[in-house]
Amino acid sequence: MSAATVRAEAKRLLALSLEGGAVSADLVGSVLAALTKSRPAHQLRPLLRAYLANIRRELARGEARIEHAGPLAATEAEAIAAHFSKVLGRSVRPVARRNDALLGGFRVRVGDDVTDLTASLRLANLAKSLS
Amino acid sequence: MTFLSALLAAEPAHEAVKAAAHGAAPAESHGPLGDIIKLFGSFGVDGPHLLVQVINFAILAFVLYKFAIKPALGQLEERIRQAEQLQKDRSAAEAQLASAQKTAEAKLVAASDEAAKILADARNSAKQVVEASKAEAQAAQIDVIAKATAAIEADRVKMMNEVRGEVSRLVVETAAKVLEQNLDDAQRGRLNEAAVKQLAR
Repeated sequence: MSAATVRAEAKRLLALSLEGGAVSADLVGSVLAALTKSRPAHQLRPLLRAYLANIRRELARGEARIEHAGPLAATEAEAIAAHFSKVLGRSVRPVARRNDALLGGFRVRVGDDVTDLTASLRLANLAKSLS
Repeated sequence: MTFLSALLAAEPAHEAVKAAAHGAAPAESHGPLGDIIKLFGSFGVDGPHLLVQVINFAILAFVLYKFAIKPALGQLEERIRQAEQLQKDRSAAEAQLASAQKTAEAKLVAASDEAAKILADARNSAKQVVEASKAEAQAAQIDVIAKATAAIEADRVKMMNEVRGEVSRLVVETAAKVLEQNLDDAQRGRLNEAAVKQLAR
């Protein structure tokens, strides 16, 4: 199988794994079971790798990964997730992780989009503008 | 000489004839002519002998003229002609020499003028080349100075920017470290709240 064929097949498998626009664990299990039965081993490895990457990307699209300095209340995390759900037009759930190196504020990654409201970025921009 | 010998040999006959004539006509040869002849005869000059000598002299003169004088005169004339020709040639040569000297002098003067002109042109050209080189060197010097000044200014600006950037980086790093060490959770929480509010706007 060529790389383009693998990408197309993985995309099709991802579509089969979605339920209501979100990744369903049951559907993913069904897809994997069907794949292991229908495909020879030498075709399965690259296809599974591409499928896994698609699943991860899709899961990331549904998560708002919030990196924050200091404490972040659950209500604030929910508020952030609600904001991005509203902006992106799909349900996004918050996943928070503390990182005090950011000094203050937070950085949110949803899929490939990054929103940075940290004090460290502001200081970096200040240094760049001064230099 | 054979002819003279023959005449001398024939002389006794003539004398016999003369003796006969004297004997026959002493009475007939009177008068002025006869006296003259008699007078010459008394000096030993008689007509036939005189005639023979005249003929001898004429022959001698003819032979001398024919074989000695005439060739000598011809050679003399030839020498004279050659001398005259030599004189003419010498005059012509002197004229040619004078003309050649004049021509050479004229050429020498012209060459000298030409050399002076060439020398003046060369001096002018050299002067122009020197002036052009000076101008070019001055332009190059100005250009080099300008480039050096620009390079120095650029280096200065670059250095100032680097210093400014380094100072800014140090200031920011110091500020970040100070903030990281001094911010407590309450302050960070307030910053997070502010960020949430900013996100909502």
